[in-house]
Amino acid sequence: MIAAWYGIVSLMLIIYVVLDGRNFGAGMLHWFVAKTREERRQVVAAIGPLWTWHEVWLVGFGGTLLAVFPRLMASAFAGYYLALFLILWGLILRGISLEVAGHINDRLWQGYWDFILTFSNFLLAILFGAAAGNLARGVPLDSHGEFSMAFFTSFNVRGNVGLLDWYTVSIAIFAAVLLAAHGATYLTLKTQGLVRSRSTRAAKVLWAAVAPLFIVISVESWLVRPDLPGRAIYNPFWWLGLVIAAVSSMTLISGLSTRREMRAFLGSTFLIVGLLTTGGAGIFPVMLYSTLSPANSLTAYAVASSPSTLRLAFIWWPVGFALATTYFVFISRRYAGKVSVKQDNQGVY
Amino acid sequence: MNLSDPAFWSRLQFGFTLTYHYLFPQLTMGLGWFLVYWKWRALRTGNEQYNQAARFWAKIFGLNFAVGVVTGIPMEFQFGTNWADFSRYAGGVIGQTLGMEAMFAFFLESAFIGALIWGEKRLGPRYHFLAALAVAVGSWLSAYFILVTNAFMQHPVGYRIEADGLLGIASLSAYLLNPWAWVQFAHNQMAALVTGSFVVTGLGAFYTLRRVHLTQAQLYLRAGTFAGLIASVLVAFPTGDQQAKMVGRYQPVTLAAMEGKFAGGPMAGVAVIGQPNLEARRLDNPIEVPGALSFLAYGTFQSYVHGLEEYPKDLWPDNIELLYYSFHIMITLGTLFIILMACATFQNWRGRLCSTTWLLWVLMLAFPYTYIANTLGWMTAELGRQPWLIYGVFRTHDGYSKVVNSGNMLFTLIGFTGLYFVLGLLSLSLAGREIAFGPDLEVAANLQEKEAPV
Repeated sequence: MIAAWYGIVSLMLIIYVVLDGRNFGAGMLHWFVAKTREERRQVVAAIGPLWTWHEVWLVGFGGTLLAVFPRLMASAFAGYYLALFLILWGLILRGISLEVAGHINDRLWQGYWDFILTFSNFLLAILFGAAAGNLARGVPLDSHGEFSMAFFTSFNVRGNVGLLDWYTVSIAIFAAVLLAAHGATYLTLKTQGLVRSRSTRAAKVLWAAVAPLFIVISVESWLVRPDLPGRAIYNPFWWLGLVIAAVSSMTLISGLSTRREMRAFLGSTFLIVGLLTTGGAGIFPVMLYSTLSPANSLTAYAVASSPSTLRLAFIWWPVGFALATTYFVFISRRYAGKVSVKQDNQGVY
Repeated sequence: MNLSDPAFWSRLQFGFTLTYHYLFPQLTMGLGWFLVYWKWRALRTGNEQYNQAARFWAKIFGLNFAVGVVTGIPMEFQFGTNWADFSRYAGGVIGQTLGMEAMFAFFLESAFIGALIWGEKRLGPRYHFLAALAVAVGSWLSAYFILVTNAFMQHPVGYRIEADGLLGIASLSAYLLNPWAWVQFAHNQMAALVTGSFVVTGLGAFYTLRRVHLTQAQLYLRAGTFAGLIASVLVAFPTGDQQAKMVGRYQPVTLAAMEGKFAGGPMAGVAVIGQPNLEARRLDNPIEVPGALSFLAYGTFQSYVHGLEEYPKDLWPDNIELLYYSFHIMITLGTLFIILMACATFQNWRGRLCSTTWLLWVLMLAFPYTYIANTLGWMTAELGRQPWLIYGVFRTHDGYSKVVNSGNMLFTLIGFTGLYFVLGLLSLSLAGREIAFGPDLEVAANLQEKEAPV
C-alpha cells in the first residue's frame, strides 16, 4: 500500500509538471514567439482558462503528501525552505501577470507584464528542474532525518551540498529547455498565423537541443548516483517509463516532421510522463537520499502514515480524482481546437 | 516574547500571510452567490440587466479570485516549511482534509472559474449559469474542509495516537462532523456573505450617489441590502451565539480571556467598554451589562463563568489584550451591521432608499468594516486557541520547524511583505478602474473604444 501511495503522489506531481509545464513553456516563449498585442493574446488564450486547475495539482500533491507521508513533507519542506519560497513567489508573479495584464489596454503596462510572465515562467522551470535534480542527487539529511540547505555551498555533489551545484544546475537547464520545447509544441497546436510558425520553428530547435542534453544528464546522473541503475532495473515501472519515453519520442518526431500537431503534442506530453516515471521509479523506495550517509536516507516505508490512515485516504482520493477529471474533460472539450481571438478574450477585461 | 525566537517569526509570517490571504476569499465566497442569483434571474426572465450585473461583478470576482489563489498556495506550503514538527505530528489527520480540499473543492472552483469570467460565448447561457454555481459551491466546500482542519485544532475529535506516536484518524465521520466545525462553518460563511453584501450594496450606493448606472445600482442595492440583513442577523444569532457557547464549553479559559474576566463568578457581565489590565488583573474603566455573559454563554443569569485566575498561567492565551479587543470590536461592528442593514432594508421596502442620501453615504463607506470584522473574528479564534496548536494536545511552541533559523524566516517574511504590498496596490487600483468604467461598457465595446486612439 505504501508503494501504491508513492505511485499516487508521484502521479499527481507528474500530472502537475506535464500540465503546468506546458504553461511554463508557453509563458517562457511568450515574449519571443508573439510580438504584437493580438499575437500575445493568442498565447494567453492558449494557456487558457484552466491554468488555476493545473496549479491545483501542486496543491493536491502537497495536501496528499502531508496526509500519507507527513514525515517526508515535514523534512523536505522545512529543508528546502528558501527554494520553496522562491517557487511560491514565482507562482505568484506568474498568476498575477496572467491576470492583471488585460485590465489596462496600454503598451507599457502590457509589455511590463508580458516580460514578468516570461521571466517568472523561466524562473519556475529552472527551480522545478533544480528541485528534481535535488531529489536525484540527495540532500544533507542528518541522523534525525532533517536537513537545512543553503542555495549553494561548494557546487559539489557530495557531503554538505547546496540547492545548486553542477549537477542540479544542469538538470535545471535541461528542464527549462524540455519545458520550453513542450510549450512550443503546445502553442503550435493551439495558435494560428505567425505565432504558430514561430512556435513550430522554436519547437524544432528546442527538441533538437533536448536530445544531446538528455545524454549529458543521463551520464551525469550515473556519475552522481552510480548506485541507482543496479536497483532500478528490477522495477517494472522503470522499464514502463522507458518504454513510454521511447514510444512517445517516436510519436513526437513523426508528429513534428509530418506537421500533425496533435500527434506531436501527445508525444511531447507522454515523453515527459515517461521521463518522470523513469526518474520516480529509479529512486524508489528512497524519497530523500542523504548525501551525508546513505543510512540517514528517508524511504517511503519509513515516512508513511499508519496503515489505517493510508486506507482512509484510499476512500476519498479516487472519488476526488474522478470528479476532477470529469470537470477537466468538460471544459477542455468546450475549448478544443485553435484559440480564436474573436471568441476567446481570456485575460482581457 | 523573544524577538530572536524562530517560533515568533513563524507565527508572525503565518498570521500575516493568512490574514492577507483571507481578505480575498471572504469576498469571493460572498459574491459567488450573487453571481449565481443574477445568472439564474437572467436565465428565468431573459432580462439582460441581470447578465450585465453578473458580467461586471465577475470581473471584480476574477481579480479577487486570482489574488486569492496565488496567496493561498503559500498557506498550504507553510504547513511544511514553517510548521514541520506540527505537520510531522498531525499530518495524518490534517493532511486528509487539506488533500480533500484540493481534490473536491479547488478542482471544482478552478475548472470553472476561467470559463465563468471569459467563457460566456464558449459555454452558452445554461452552462454559464452552472459554471457560476460550480464556483460558488466549490468555494464553500473549500471553506468547509479548511474549517474542519481548524476545528480539529480548536476542539480535537476523532483522532488517536498511533503506534509510532503520531496522530491518526480514529473515526473519519467524527473528524469530518466535528460539532465545532459545523458551528464555525455557519458563522464564517455568514460573515463572508456579510462582506459580499456590503461590497455589492456599497457600490450600488456609490453609483446612486454619483447618479450613474442607475438601473444597475438598483439591482445591487436591492440584492445587497436583502442578503446583507439576513446575513448580518444570522452571523450574530444563532451562529455567533453558538460559537461563543462552544468556546464556553470547551475552552473556558479562552472565554474568560475574551471577556477580560480575571475572577470567576455568577452574574458575569459583558463589558461594553473597558481595558484589560494584566498587571492589576482587572478590567479598567468597565461599563458592563450585568449577567449578560452568564446568560449568553450558559443560558441563565446565575450561571457561573470561570475566571482566568482559576487556571494556571501557562494555560492562558498568550496575548489576552489583543484577544479581548479583537472579540469586542468584532461584536460591536456586528451589532452596527444589523442596525445599518435593517435601516436600509426598511427604506428600500418603502421605496425611499435611493433618496435617503445620508444612508447611501453610510452604506457606501461601511464595507471596509466588514473586512475588519471578519479579520477580528479569525484573530479571536486563533489567539484564543493559544498557547495550543491543537487545543489541549500539542503546544504552539512545539510545532515550528526547528531546522529553519530566524534569518531565513525574516528573509521570506520581508519578501512576502513587499510582494503583498504590490499585490494590494494592484488589486485595489484595478478594482477601482473597473468600478470607474462601470458595468455599462461591454467587454468588446470596451476594447474597441480604448483601441481607437492608439
